[in-house]
Amino acid sequence: MTAILRVESRKRVRGSVILVVVFALLSALYFSMFPGIQAEMDVIEEAFPAYMFDLFQIEELHTIEGFIAAEIYSFFWVLLVAIYFAYVGAGLISSDVRSRKMDLTLSNPVSRESVVLQKVAALWVPLIALNVGVPIIVYVGALVIGESFDPVALAMVHLLSIPYLLVCAGIGVVLSVVVDHPRTARAVALTLVAVLWLVDGVSRVDPDYERIGALTPSRYYDQTAILVHEEYALGDAGILLAAFLALLAVAVFVFTRRDI
Amino acid sequence: MCAQTETLDTEPDRGAAPIRLDGLTKRYGDVTANDAVSFDVGAGEIFGYLGPNGAGKTTTIRLLLGLIKPTSGSAEVLGADIRDRRALTDVKADIGYLPDSLGFEERLTGRQVLDYFARMRGDERREELLELFRPPLDKRVETYSHGNKRMLGIVQTFMHDPDLVILDEPTSGLDPLKQDRMHLFLEEERDAGKTVFFSSHVLSEVQRVCDRVGIIRDGALVALEGVDDLLERSGKDVRVQLAAPVDEERFATAEMIDVEAVDRTVRFTYTGEPAALLDHLVQFEIEDVDIGDPQLDEIFKHYYGNDAEE
Repeated sequence: MTAILRVESRKRVRGSVILVVVFALLSALYFSMFPGIQAEMDVIEEAFPAYMFDLFQIEELHTIEGFIAAEIYSFFWVLLVAIYFAYVGAGLISSDVRSRKMDLTLSNPVSRESVVLQKVAALWVPLIALNVGVPIIVYVGALVIGESFDPVALAMVHLLSIPYLLVCAGIGVVLSVVVDHPRTARAVALTLVAVLWLVDGVSRVDPDYERIGALTPSRYYDQTAILVHEEYALGDAGILLAAFLALLAVAVFVFTRRDI
Repeated sequence: MCAQTETLDTEPDRGAAPIRLDGLTKRYGDVTANDAVSFDVGAGEIFGYLGPNGAGKTTTIRLLLGLIKPTSGSAEVLGADIRDRRALTDVKADIGYLPDSLGFEERLTGRQVLDYFARMRGDERREELLELFRPPLDKRVETYSHGNKRMLGIVQTFMHDPDLVILDEPTSGLDPLKQDRMHLFLEEERDAGKTVFFSSHVLSEVQRVCDRVGIIRDGALVALEGVDDLLERSGKDVRVQLAAPVDEERFATAEMIDVEAVDRTVRFTYTGEPAALLDHLVQFEIEDVDIGDPQLDEIFKHYYGNDAEE
């Protein structure tokens, strides 16, 4: 029974392609800037207060790894792609219930568990497209301006981001089965993911909030540590994966018991 | 159409009724959408589920399909208890469902939509159905008219040759020719052994195709009878145009209800024999007569009272 997975996967293609193109444009912009401003990075690093760098987990801006980690990954990947996954997740169930598509879907011999799982499984499309397309763009971009990336670190920054993005999607999926209006579900999901990201950033700066940050998904994914220090926190990725599975279980539990 | 049961208050004597409702109740807060609804639909009959918009027809259907859970009571569909999710999911391979509001994946073409459903439950009758109902298969569903969507929905409902079909306002949006085709098709399917649950707010349509009728009003089943009996009890709407104003006292008979005389026009509902009415009318100088089916609301008013509580 993969009919739903097929159709859902097809629906994810357009958004995935757009996102890869956006990253290609962003990369082109930053790579063209880097040679010109590389020498001035020391100045920039001195000019801004330290907490700004802590907030965005920025280090070693004068290296290509530090620069790309700061410019592309610490914001666009960790926040915007995360928001995309939360947004898509939040629409998966709620929009089908709202448009009465779910009535027809569930008139087939297919269980509600299977509907949720196939819809979530269709996220393989943006996950693969982004995590294959973007590292290739970044790697080639670095070569073009005469720099080079450690391909292992680059691969790891993407591989270890998958559990993180899945948690964000999971937050969306839970909202998708709880909230009736897709607009509300999406708005809450993307706000929540953005707020969690901010809380994590603030908690790094202020020791009093350090412990709250432990509840945010981005705490368990450190793109700068991976790219600049080649530290691969597999345990943290495991925590994220477990959190994703827990969110998915909650979503299935709720969806199989509610009226639609 | 032929009402096949004579003792209408007793349920059809069939071993396994494809649909059996037993005190099915659904409440949303203070609103009772379905109030202890009980009836059986026998195998091989077209059962009309008649009621005004908002009476609770769709609620019953969504309960039967397990989309919503009953507050109390239960029902069986093809032998599966609707509260048993797994059993209900299994029998859905043998159910066709045409919802009142068709939620298709709008970006897919009609053909892709049918492929999608075919992967879940088969499509052995797809080609045959597409000769009767012809939605533009190569166009995206988002470009479809209401009627084309409905035709795609009909093909989707029947293409896996289900034993039971549940139709919610199936002819809405179809032009009269297609409605006729649909009615004829349903009769053929019934004769071939299919069970049809047909929900509608249009009395004439139910009269035409259904064998038995359940009438729902404000969530409660108010009548369950053969379609011929319903017709007899429902009377006719009559409008008479006279050559000159007439005294209402002299014109009215005991079989006329709700007589309204304005100048030379008299309107009433007639509950007696048609021949007697014509005999009566020829005594007057008549310019025009219009005899038609009454509105559903009128039937409720006259035969079930305004209080639908049981």
